[in-house]
Amino acid sequence: MQETLTYIALGLALGFLVKKYFFKEKNKGNCDKDCGC
Amino acid sequence: MLQNTPLKVALVGNPNTGKTSLFNQLTGLKQKVGNYPGITVDKKQGSCKITDSQSAIISDLPGTYSINPTSLDETLVLETLLDTENKDFPDAVIVVAEIENLKRNLLLFSQIKELSIPTVLVINMADQLKRKGISIDIDALEKELKTTIILISARKKQGIDALKAELLNYKNWDTTPLLNIADKIDACFFKQVKEDFKDVPLYKAWLLITQQEYCSFLSDDMHKRIDEIKNSCDAIKKFQHKETIYRYQRINEILKTTYKVDKSKATDTRSRLDAILTHRVFGYAIFAGILFLIFQSIFDWASLPMDLIDQFFAELSSFAKTNMTPGVFTNLIAEGIIPGIGGVVIFIPQIAILFLFIATLEETGYMSRVVFLMDKIMRRFGMSGKSVIPLISGTACSIPAIMAARNISGWKERLITILVTPFTTCSARIPVYAIIISLIIPDEKVLGIFNLQGLALFALYAIGFAAAIVSAMLLNRILKIKQRSFFIIEMPNYKIPSIKNLVITVIEKTKAFVFGAGKIILALSIILWFLASSGPAAYDNAETTINQQSESAQLSDDELAHKIASYKLENSYIGIMGKTIEPVIKPLGYDWKIGIALISSFAAREVFVGTLATIYSVGDDGEDTATIKERMRAEVHPETGEKIFNFASGMSLMMYYVFAMQCIGTLAIVKRETNSWKWPILQVVGMGILAYITAMITFMILS
Repeated sequence: MQETLTYIALGLALGFLVKKYFFKEKNKGNCDKDCGC
Repeated sequence: MLQNTPLKVALVGNPNTGKTSLFNQLTGLKQKVGNYPGITVDKKQGSCKITDSQSAIISDLPGTYSINPTSLDETLVLETLLDTENKDFPDAVIVVAEIENLKRNLLLFSQIKELSIPTVLVINMADQLKRKGISIDIDALEKELKTTIILISARKKQGIDALKAELLNYKNWDTTPLLNIADKIDACFFKQVKEDFKDVPLYKAWLLITQQEYCSFLSDDMHKRIDEIKNSCDAIKKFQHKETIYRYQRINEILKTTYKVDKSKATDTRSRLDAILTHRVFGYAIFAGILFLIFQSIFDWASLPMDLIDQFFAELSSFAKTNMTPGVFTNLIAEGIIPGIGGVVIFIPQIAILFLFIATLEETGYMSRVVFLMDKIMRRFGMSGKSVIPLISGTACSIPAIMAARNISGWKERLITILVTPFTTCSARIPVYAIIISLIIPDEKVLGIFNLQGLALFALYAIGFAAAIVSAMLLNRILKIKQRSFFIIEMPNYKIPSIKNLVITVIEKTKAFVFGAGKIILALSIILWFLASSGPAAYDNAETTINQQSESAQLSDDELAHKIASYKLENSYIGIMGKTIEPVIKPLGYDWKIGIALISSFAAREVFVGTLATIYSVGDDGEDTATIKERMRAEVHPETGEKIFNFASGMSLMMYYVFAMQCIGTLAIVKRETNSWKWPILQVVGMGILAYITAMITFMILS
């Protein structure tokens, strides 16, 4: 059980970093900041 | 008595020039006058009796800095002045300026003057000229601006009758355009505009082209003609920038001879304060003193809460290990996640204090004085006065700071600012500096008052800022880009900061720091823990190998456990990775564990401490409740037995972080802002080489 939880946590962590640095979310408009979008 | 048709008069001006006060004086209407930009959010009209037979309909238009709208209320000004068919199109325009910000106010005036509508310039707050040490040569200014100028004081009702009398004469006002922008911007393009828009005055045509989306009154045919010319030229944005720069250059030339400010003669409180805070000697000394105070406070005030937080996480880790079911997941929580997160949370007190000071300086109005003060210095190094805003914002984070460089009009100055801003010590470096300073610099007082650790932090900030300035100077010589720009800043009044605003700013900024990096650190802590807690066959056979090796040696249980833990860490995945890069970082005085922390901190600098906390937690067999600082202090080289974090390696590490571009987010934003990979790559390589060499020299000298 502990091993399963560890691998889930590891998968989530890897997934989060890959998504953050390789699949950037596009802005969906209504952006009121001066961010160039 | 026979009444003439009422005159239609538009009241135009920058926000905060007293336009609404003048409107009240002319029309007698009661209307709220506030000290905030944009209080006039709609066009207001009122009737003004000029003589018994002549009246005027005065339209109070929203405050705007130029006819190029950036918001809906500013669009109203553009439409009123361009839509000649509209029933409210004015017979005459009153442009309201005020004595202190005349340079900025005249940009709008110069644009309106091009439209050939009868225009008069009203300069408000004339009653305060003497108090503020300002003198204006009205005759010369009228000649240069080709206009009639009326000095008024809307609050004291001075000059209102003169203005009314002048309105009667509006048909005789000079409507000659102030500047010939066509030749100055691009003669060829404007020749084309002239041919395509023969039925429209040239400057109006130019405004219609550039502001098409804001002009609701345009016919389909006009839209089509505008689209055609827009499609034939892709440099329109560039021409707009050129126009603004040229206008400010001309305004500067005019004001050089007609407008004088002698601060020594000024007698109001604001001027007196400005005279001291922007003084060419005292100004810099005060600024340096304030920065010095900030860094002293960061260490003095934050040390107690930081120690408490550090202890709390150490206890929490121990609690998790003792009370949770033993197993690999419990180890992950106790040795990976808790120390990793603790490595960020511990710096909340220092970050909050830094932001509290920055927000206070901004709220009081002092920051604008700093920008003004630094302009003279910045220009010498190829940057603009506006570069100070990114450089100061960079103390929080380089990402918004680099975006703030967008308001620098010259491409060369902007590029230099973008490239050197990451040298400014951002808040993400504080965790790295703070932990190393606390390990290698004694917590002592110098001269009985100054904290030595605070002095060290101040020195690191100063080195970062000096690196930015020197790099800017070099880039100014290397980059062969010709461009001129202007600097304009509004000095807000001094005010006591609102506690509510300060609290909100500090909470928001601290939250952004913790949660922005926190998620990355949490994810990395899990991965790092996994890599440090597993490995190939040698890792799994660690106990057997060490037991065999230690058969002849008489080792205690503690010594044996320590040897097994060290062997495991060295043969874990992370150990193998660290050992691979160790030869590269060894000349800097670092071991492979620091190497891993350096690599992981490319995600964000503050990850460095969290990474070390995780690695040392996994490798450590000592007290479960040891804090991050204690673990780092206890770390010794396995072969030499010397402390890993000694003065030489600590200084080398800090020098590395002063110069290195250790931030993926900043790289991405530089790519976006420069629209090229060339600049971020040059930046990361250049800063990396500089960091490596400086760190190596520092280590060689000090060891």
